[in-house]
Amino acid sequence: MTTQLHTPAVRVRDLRKTFYEEERGEIAAVDGISFDAVPGEVFGLLGANGAGKTTTLRMLSTVLRPTGGSASVMGHDVVDEGGKVRQNLGFYSASTALYPRLTARETLEFFARINGYPEDRVQARVDQLVDRFGIREYEHGRVEKLSSGMKQKVSIARTIAHDPPVLIFDEPTVGLDVMNAIEMVRVIDDLKADGKAVLYSSHIMSEVEKLCDRIGILHRGRLLALGTLDELRKKTGEHYLEEIFVKFVTEVSGSDAVVPGAFGQIDRPGS
Amino acid sequence: MNWREIGILYRHELRSALRERTIVVNGILIPIFLYPVMLWGMFTAVTFVQGLNEGFTSRVVVEGQLPALNTELRDSLATLPDLRIEDDVAEPRAAIAEGRLDAIVTFSPAQGDVGVLPGNFRVDIAYDGSETRSVNARDRVESAVDRWRSGWLEEMGDDLGLDVEDRAVFALTSENVSTARDVSEQVLGYMLSVFLIIMVAVGCFIPAVDTTAGERERSTWETLMTVGADRGSIVVAKYLYVATLGIVAGALNVIALMVSIGAVLEPLLGESGASLEVALSPMAALVMVGAASLLALTFAAAMMVFASFARSFKDGQAMVSPVMWLIFLPILLGGEGSDVNLSVNTAVVPLLNVSMMIRDAIRGVFVWEGIAITLGVSIVLVTVLLLLARRILSFEEFLTGSFDGSFWRFAKDRLLTRG
Repeated sequence: MTTQLHTPAVRVRDLRKTFYEEERGEIAAVDGISFDAVPGEVFGLLGANGAGKTTTLRMLSTVLRPTGGSASVMGHDVVDEGGKVRQNLGFYSASTALYPRLTARETLEFFARINGYPEDRVQARVDQLVDRFGIREYEHGRVEKLSSGMKQKVSIARTIAHDPPVLIFDEPTVGLDVMNAIEMVRVIDDLKADGKAVLYSSHIMSEVEKLCDRIGILHRGRLLALGTLDELRKKTGEHYLEEIFVKFVTEVSGSDAVVPGAFGQIDRPGS
Repeated sequence: MNWREIGILYRHELRSALRERTIVVNGILIPIFLYPVMLWGMFTAVTFVQGLNEGFTSRVVVEGQLPALNTELRDSLATLPDLRIEDDVAEPRAAIAEGRLDAIVTFSPAQGDVGVLPGNFRVDIAYDGSETRSVNARDRVESAVDRWRSGWLEEMGDDLGLDVEDRAVFALTSENVSTARDVSEQVLGYMLSVFLIIMVAVGCFIPAVDTTAGERERSTWETLMTVGADRGSIVVAKYLYVATLGIVAGALNVIALMVSIGAVLEPLLGESGASLEVALSPMAALVMVGAASLLALTFAAAMMVFASFARSFKDGQAMVSPVMWLIFLPILLGGEGSDVNLSVNTAVVPLLNVSMMIRDAIRGVFVWEGIAITLGVSIVLVTVLLLLARRILSFEEFLTGSFDGSFWRFAKDRLLTRG
């Protein structure tokens, strides 16, 4: 059993989410998943479209309320302490757009302030971000007039404007060209080096393979496996993540079984 | 709820809004320029049409014979610069109907006892009451005959040895006891209450849709839902922003009207001998500011609730339109000529009460009991709407864009059926 070196920044236990649809009744989008993410780690959630990745991350960001189980960010419960959770979190996804009528600088100032960053340090923080992401030349340009590449930089900068300890990136490279996708991966590597706990969801195997310290494979709302890439390789005997993913999914297809031992260091509920 | 967060969000909304052309046009430029320009346009059009009608020469056919003593009347008609006697018109009545002729003047002997007076006669004028030009012809002929009659009566009086004072059997004079201020209050009481309600609603409309449906369309809802602010702070900040723009629109409109109404309406009122004196008492101004605030707070809450489910700005406009139509009801019920006044009973009807409160304030009438009830009713209504808005935000389906973008579907599915 692996020794846990850090206190988890994110702690998820038996998390569940069901939706109700008139035609289909109750649908379990997330069905009792558990994992931790620690500072300085990129934790990847890998799954096909509809696997439950976005629902999980939306519950962690308090956009959705869990139906069962529990989750906390930096010790704050996502249900009872939503505001505290969000102040400790930066959330980036394709569905979190920027305000088009604000300038890049105003955008960063707004997100730093509204997320509780100390007022007397806001300008210094914004200057730091402007330099770090190379947007000095465009800082006074309205977001709506920026190129998609610049928008992406501003969007990442606004996600970390309040310097949160936990960052969530939900399918961040969707719709990006090759150069911007590479830039995104580089930024996430930097954030990891800064000691942030990063939750990264994707269905692109190469990105997950390259970026993530540990990987959770999600399928139909259930976590089929969790571990480092090496642990998953050993478990399946496959080398490439794509083959590992297919193997896990194929094994459980048509059954409720979860691959034994796949949860690694996580204490499974009821165990 | 956190006032620091509300302040940050409020400034953010305002800054963003003031860079949106539609909001600036609807919330600032239209309130300033629309009604003064509209009134000026109406005045110009009326005076232009009047000028055109007055400039036309009236075409008249004169029939019948005048007594020998008054044959000169016919000649005097012929010398009028704005009247022309037509000599050769076939079927004159048909010509009036076809617009080729304006009036037929028929002279005939006086009938009955008055017929014994020497030189007395009768005049019949046929004209088309639906045509301004024909009515003008009638007025010109009547005026000429009146002048002739006065002169004739004076001559008759002189012949009978009556002096001027004896001939004035009774004097008829009229006096307008209303002051210029009374006239102003009557005109403004109607115009300002109507325009204020409409302008506050127009001022709230686009911001309410933009800050709800617009956010969803721009995909910034989820961005906002993931910031560290309390959800209650978000609702209150957005609400105050919409209400602010409503109040600004209303205030700008009132100021623009007050500045321009005298210059625009003075010439029109001048013809009736009245004049405008625009002066609001401090109390009236205070009540109007309060009324505009109540209107803005109510409209903002109602419009945000309806627009919040829409998936696009266009859908939001469609959802809020019924609210705009509802706003016209109090204008119709409490408008000029209506017998409905602010009282303990009518003060419980939302919006109508505020409309009447404004009208009364301009006239210098303050029904304090009614004003207190109006305030109470408005606060209750706004509170209910805000609680509803807060409750709506607590439903996660709201964020994920369910309910077909419709408030009614939401009410049916979550408030009425499943709670």
